[in-house]
Amino acid sequence: MPIEWTEEQQRWRRDIGRWCDQWNAGRELRERNGTFGVPDWDLVRRSNVLRMPFDAAWGGLGLDLLTTMFVLEGLGTGCHDTGLLFSAVTHVVSTGIPLQRFGSAELRQTHLKKVCEGSVIGAHAITEPTGGSDATNMRTTAVRENDSYVLNGQKSFITNGPVADLFVVYARTDTGPGPFGLSAFLVERDTPGFTVGPALPKMGLLSSPLCELELRDCRVPAANLIGRPGTGFLIIDHVMTWEILCSFIVTVGRMQQRLDRCIAHARERVQFGQPIASFQSISHRIVEMKIGLENSRRWLYETAYRFGRHHRVTEELAIAKLIASESNLASALAAVQIFGGRGYLTESGVEGELRDAVAGTIYSGTSEIQRERIARMLGL
Amino acid sequence: MSPERQVTEYIVHQFQPGVTADELDADYDLLANGIIDSLGLLRLVDWLDRTFDIAVGEADLAPSDFRTVGTICKFIKERSR
Repeated sequence: MPIEWTEEQQRWRRDIGRWCDQWNAGRELRERNGTFGVPDWDLVRRSNVLRMPFDAAWGGLGLDLLTTMFVLEGLGTGCHDTGLLFSAVTHVVSTGIPLQRFGSAELRQTHLKKVCEGSVIGAHAITEPTGGSDATNMRTTAVRENDSYVLNGQKSFITNGPVADLFVVYARTDTGPGPFGLSAFLVERDTPGFTVGPALPKMGLLSSPLCELELRDCRVPAANLIGRPGTGFLIIDHVMTWEILCSFIVTVGRMQQRLDRCIAHARERVQFGQPIASFQSISHRIVEMKIGLENSRRWLYETAYRFGRHHRVTEELAIAKLIASESNLASALAAVQIFGGRGYLTESGVEGELRDAVAGTIYSGTSEIQRERIARMLGL
Repeated sequence: MSPERQVTEYIVHQFQPGVTADELDADYDLLANGIIDSLGLLRLVDWLDRTFDIAVGEADLAPSDFRTVGTICKFIKERSR
């Protein structure tokens, strides 16, 4: 299914993509600090990237999923700060997407405009210390008391957590069996009983801060329930679909940039009297990078096309995520090898790409879980 | 084959090996009895989508739709295009 992007789609990509140079300018400082600051976020806000998939009623641009992904792919190519892009995508998908799709009119009225304009930063809380990929067995509880829900539990690996204002927290509202025991709640940072932990040092995506959360008798209005009680698992499934498609199309952009860089280097770098591109050990490695890139791109866009037509994509999404994350890791490792000693140095930026790529095989469901999903979909 | 028979055969084949379609009551609670877990639910919804050409958005789904063969068939009837 080849996609022919319209002039309007290409214009969106150019318009938002022109911010990449300004984002790139502060990358080193952000990575050293392990987070982004207000001026960095202001640049992200001004680009309109946070508004893309939301309705005009909330200040959004009203772009469909495919167009949103097309713009994000362009940003992945132009912006070298994968962590900052990851935080921007997380903001959009973690709070904006569930609010727009499942939130009550009141919740949307109060919060969605702020999410669109980026005047608040969003995050979501699914994973817990006792279980990551096994999300349906989460232990955080939400007990109804009159017009409130009282939340208790711990959450971990909260991207944007240290700087976020608004959290979508998933908790168990039903202690019985079955997948319909979870619900989603909007929790504001200053809610009593809600504690945000310090940023945790990590391997890659250094500009994107991450932390743990604690909820102790954290009382939120019942009106902060997103969707119907017991539909939290389906909301997670919807949000994860957006998260995988949007964050890994950024990855595709990074893979394209890396491929172009490796091709240029292989043509210029001379060893034994000839460009290293003339050695099959190098050129074939680059060919594998190209195949992984195109495979990832096609799976992601085709899955998004089907999802956009309101079809289920459980199996396709798992395949797309596996291919994109593992191709990216292989591509980043190949790039280090192609650049040799220079690739091993931090200043080249190539080794940082490799550290970032490792995260992709873990977040949004590990490679192991994606394989398990595919196996289950095959009836195994 | 009726939708009810298709659904029953799919569920016993996929989730209850060793049980025949005739042994599964239309009002047997598939969720409370742990027959369908979270991944099982996604498989079932995908299958409904492809078999009956139902575009299923998550916002439209409710626990009660998938509790029994009977409620699943009611869901198909309401959503068939």
